[in-house]
Amino acid sequence: MVQAPERTHSPRRRFRSLALLSGAAAIALLASGCAGGSSSASNGEFGFPETEQQADSTITVWVDNTRVAAADAFKAANPDVPIDVVTYDGSANGSNSFQTKIQLFDKAKKGWPDVVWSTQTNDAAWASQTSPGSQPFAAQLDGGLVDSELIDGFTAGSLDPCTVDGKVYCLRNDLAQNVLWYDKTLFDQFGYTLPTTWEEYQELGEKVATEHPGYIIGAAGDAWTPEIYMWASKCQAGDVTAVREITVDTTSEECQRMADLLDTSIANGSITTESVFSPSFVQKYAGKVLAMPGPVWYSGAIFNSPDSLNVPAGQIGAATPPTWDGEDVVTGNVGGGTWYISSHSANLASAKKFVEFAATSDEYQVELNPGLPAFAAAGEKWVAKQADSGYFAGDLDALTDSASLVWSGWGSPTFSQEAVWAKTVTPVITSGGTVSDTLEEWGQAIKDQAQVNGYKVG
Amino acid sequence: MTATVPDVEATAAAGVTPRLGRSPRRPGRASVRRSPVKNRMGYLFVSGYTVLMLVFGVFPALYALVLSVTTIDGSFAGFDNFAKVLGDYRFLPAVGHVAVYLVIWLVSLLVLVVLLALVVHAIRIRWLSNASRFIFYIPGALAGASSVMLWLFVLDPSVSPVGWLLEAFGFESFVQTINPANLPVVFTVIAFWTGAGGWIVIMYGALNNIPEEVMEAAKIDGANAVQTAVRIQLPMMKKWIAYMGIMSLAAGTQLFVEPQLLSQASNAVVANDYSLNQLAYLYAFQQNDFNGSAAISILLLVIALALSAFFVARGGLFEKD
Amino acid sequence: MTALSTAPGHVADRAAARPAKRSPAGLRGTPGQWSGRFVVALVLLAFGLFFAIPIVWLLLATTKSPTDLIQNNPFSFGSLDGFAVNWNALFAFQDGAVVGWLGNSALYSVVALAITLVVSVPAGYALALTEFRLRRALLVTTLVVMLIPNTALVLPVFLELNTVGLIGSPLAVILPFSFFPFGVYLTYIYFSTSIPRDLLAAARIDGCTEFGVFTRIALPLATPVVALVAFFSFVQNWNNYFLPFVMLPASDQYPMQVGLTSLLASTPAFNPSSAGAASVQLPTLALATIMSVLPVLIVFLFSQRFLVSGMTAGGTKE
Repeated sequence: MVQAPERTHSPRRRFRSLALLSGAAAIALLASGCAGGSSSASNGEFGFPETEQQADSTITVWVDNTRVAAADAFKAANPDVPIDVVTYDGSANGSNSFQTKIQLFDKAKKGWPDVVWSTQTNDAAWASQTSPGSQPFAAQLDGGLVDSELIDGFTAGSLDPCTVDGKVYCLRNDLAQNVLWYDKTLFDQFGYTLPTTWEEYQELGEKVATEHPGYIIGAAGDAWTPEIYMWASKCQAGDVTAVREITVDTTSEECQRMADLLDTSIANGSITTESVFSPSFVQKYAGKVLAMPGPVWYSGAIFNSPDSLNVPAGQIGAATPPTWDGEDVVTGNVGGGTWYISSHSANLASAKKFVEFAATSDEYQVELNPGLPAFAAAGEKWVAKQADSGYFAGDLDALTDSASLVWSGWGSPTFSQEAVWAKTVTPVITSGGTVSDTLEEWGQAIKDQAQVNGYKVG
Repeated sequence: MTATVPDVEATAAAGVTPRLGRSPRRPGRASVRRSPVKNRMGYLFVSGYTVLMLVFGVFPALYALVLSVTTIDGSFAGFDNFAKVLGDYRFLPAVGHVAVYLVIWLVSLLVLVVLLALVVHAIRIRWLSNASRFIFYIPGALAGASSVMLWLFVLDPSVSPVGWLLEAFGFESFVQTINPANLPVVFTVIAFWTGAGGWIVIMYGALNNIPEEVMEAAKIDGANAVQTAVRIQLPMMKKWIAYMGIMSLAAGTQLFVEPQLLSQASNAVVANDYSLNQLAYLYAFQQNDFNGSAAISILLLVIALALSAFFVARGGLFEKD
Repeated sequence: MTALSTAPGHVADRAAARPAKRSPAGLRGTPGQWSGRFVVALVLLAFGLFFAIPIVWLLLATTKSPTDLIQNNPFSFGSLDGFAVNWNALFAFQDGAVVGWLGNSALYSVVALAITLVVSVPAGYALALTEFRLRRALLVTTLVVMLIPNTALVLPVFLELNTVGLIGSPLAVILPFSFFPFGVYLTYIYFSTSIPRDLLAAARIDGCTEFGVFTRIALPLATPVVALVAFFSFVQNWNNYFLPFVMLPASDQYPMQVGLTSLLASTPAFNPSSAGAASVQLPTLALATIMSVLPVLIVFLFSQRFLVSGMTAGGTKE
């Protein structure tokens, strides 16, 4: 399997190239423990079949628009590593571009990029598996390719979406766990206290509905509603128990209690069924969001965004998510991007260098990442920086505290849980139906979707 | 469409100059004598196109056919792939969606496009005729990603330029507008908005080519506008209308763009497995099952061909008169 | 609207060729004619609004700030400053990537258009007006190929082009674009319904070669359909998304449509995770949409001029 390079780059090869070559070769040799890369189908020393390595060959990196900054920062920090940056949509909004392109390259047996950014957490599930006639696209990272100390440096649980069958296939760029966002100014004005349990949360909603109708404590019109509410309630909507096995039980008490909470709050108007990104949401609720459980990236995407709610500085705070009375705090997660290295890469050394830089370096993670870094050390600095910005009311400890509280009973299968919910539940609750009545239908839809995607449903 | 064409030969001044086109539809004309030269010319003229068609049409189609009857590792599978897709829980709903859409779409398109083309053609003021064709066409220039945002706004009553209309129908939010019961109509509106203009232009061109003598003759015979349209213009546009029918059938059975677009705009509230073609796409690129995908495509092709046969026969599309 | 008439025929168009015939009724129509005119006017107005309203909204959207777009009346005008802001934002996106995308789209569409015309028009002519053994087979095959869902063709075409090593070259997009069966059918129907055979026969008797008949008689008469095919081919190529997306690995080769999806994926409304410094706002997206549509409209206006010069007008250019 000789791999033709995608595009002949025009590197600025001058006198330094010789030194460079030997330098990169040395790094590659160090990293690979001096074993010459075997190009046979047997596994290389990192746990996957390697292509013949070409030291200092150009690597192709796929990023979305927001991550162009990471590529630029890498170029600035490593001017001697030739990279070719390709922007694409990052597989966002269900476009599935990443998988589409890789499958075609698999059929053509060439053309793979070396590093890929993905906005989704559903990609490791397929990228870690062989497709007919082709090895898995994603290189296993914890088989020696990436230092184990570095992998251990990630926030506990943050690599779950990247972990398939106990092996790590991608590095997480940013965390997206849910916290309870609240408007301190409004709480003070209304004289309410912050809810710490879901029971209190529901009561708060009832109070708001009677005393301050029009104000809301949450939104359930988005595709990620189950990831905010159901996941935090330990509802077993998709527990990936093995590579192609999933357990689905949406009629359990855990699901039922949260469904009731949603139904009650939607009925009294304290939780809206508008999507937070819909044009009408801003029209109706600017200045009226008292609280909102949601992922950490809501801060920049909704509250501190001129195009969304545009809440002035000093009002918005973050609290640890509520819990059911007497239970440990767990939370859900909405998205959070990932970095992949191609197992077909002819320059694993450079690809690894790039991914480690993008996922762990302060230059990118602390300075430029719009989201909360998944790499713990960078995450702390990032939170400190946000706290210093003066935008938030109170401290941001909740962000750090809740980072490792994501409940692990909700897996990342190849299909999108969000799409299933959007299709089966959203139309029901926006037209006056209840979540409780659709729990079974929702579960069935997940099972159906899992089955056609090759899962054995338990 | 069994209108009798008035005897053109009698009323029109016959063959004054070569530019007076005779009615080109004269059945029973003796077939043109073949000569070796003409034969060779014919082959030469179609050669370039034939090569392209083989490379980008026929071979890929045959490959898809082979895929549909083989397994993933290339052994013969018979009808297993077809059985698999027919048994998919998404398949029958998708068939239903496409069938309902197809009826609404085809009828509204054929009727309205012909009507609008006749109307535009009847305008005497040149700038107005040009302007209306231009306005009808503009939406056709929008495609794919460019329309996602547009429909997100237009279908949301609170920000839509036609919000009053949506509210008149009782829709209060975007999600209510796009509830499953409304989708066939919504897709028809979107498809008509983007696709009708192009066909109006084509039909307008066809109407322009009806020889003036024929029209004059009809007027002298005392036919009014409606009679002229029914007895003369429509029969002379038969081939064009048949062609539009077939193309719209194909577009309808292969419904893809509109649901995909709304799926993006609504963040998946409109499912991305609404239509058969979307299902074929999901099979190929989400489930990595190109064989199942090919099977769906072949099924679609068979359906489209069967339905097209009607138009081909009625429109005399292959007749060389 | 007084000059609206139900009388068919384009008097104005034909004025050059011959003195216009006034309808006997002149401008004072009978009551019947007036009601006819009224119906025509009403139909035009209704559909005109149907097609135009969303476009007008989109044009106005380019002048607004994101907040105005949502809060203000859909038909309000934003401000010229707002337009300037959106303009600058669009051209600042990935260091002016939009310019490159438009250039790529133009390159792919125009070259493919040229090839399409060279192969399609003669093919349609031969299918309509000459006899050869495979004529019917070719017509049927063309129709079948047109009915195959594109989804089925992506993989085989990709593998074909990969075999000859064209993936990533502009040809990988241009060649598939050049295969335009729709256009062949348009020319075929046109030639078979609108060209008087007596004319061709006369030319042959006058000693024209078969090739001469095509270039001297048929082509001049075919201006409208050549304009049609050119236009539809251009639009289809310009608006094609999936083929270039699959065939082109590098983002600096993207045409506008693929670029637009990048833009769409950078707006928080469609990709919440993109909210950040580099995100794109909806009015900017509206402007990008307008930019992507403009070339098509310009080509449309240009091709319209040939479209109305019907066959009869062409016939006089002997």
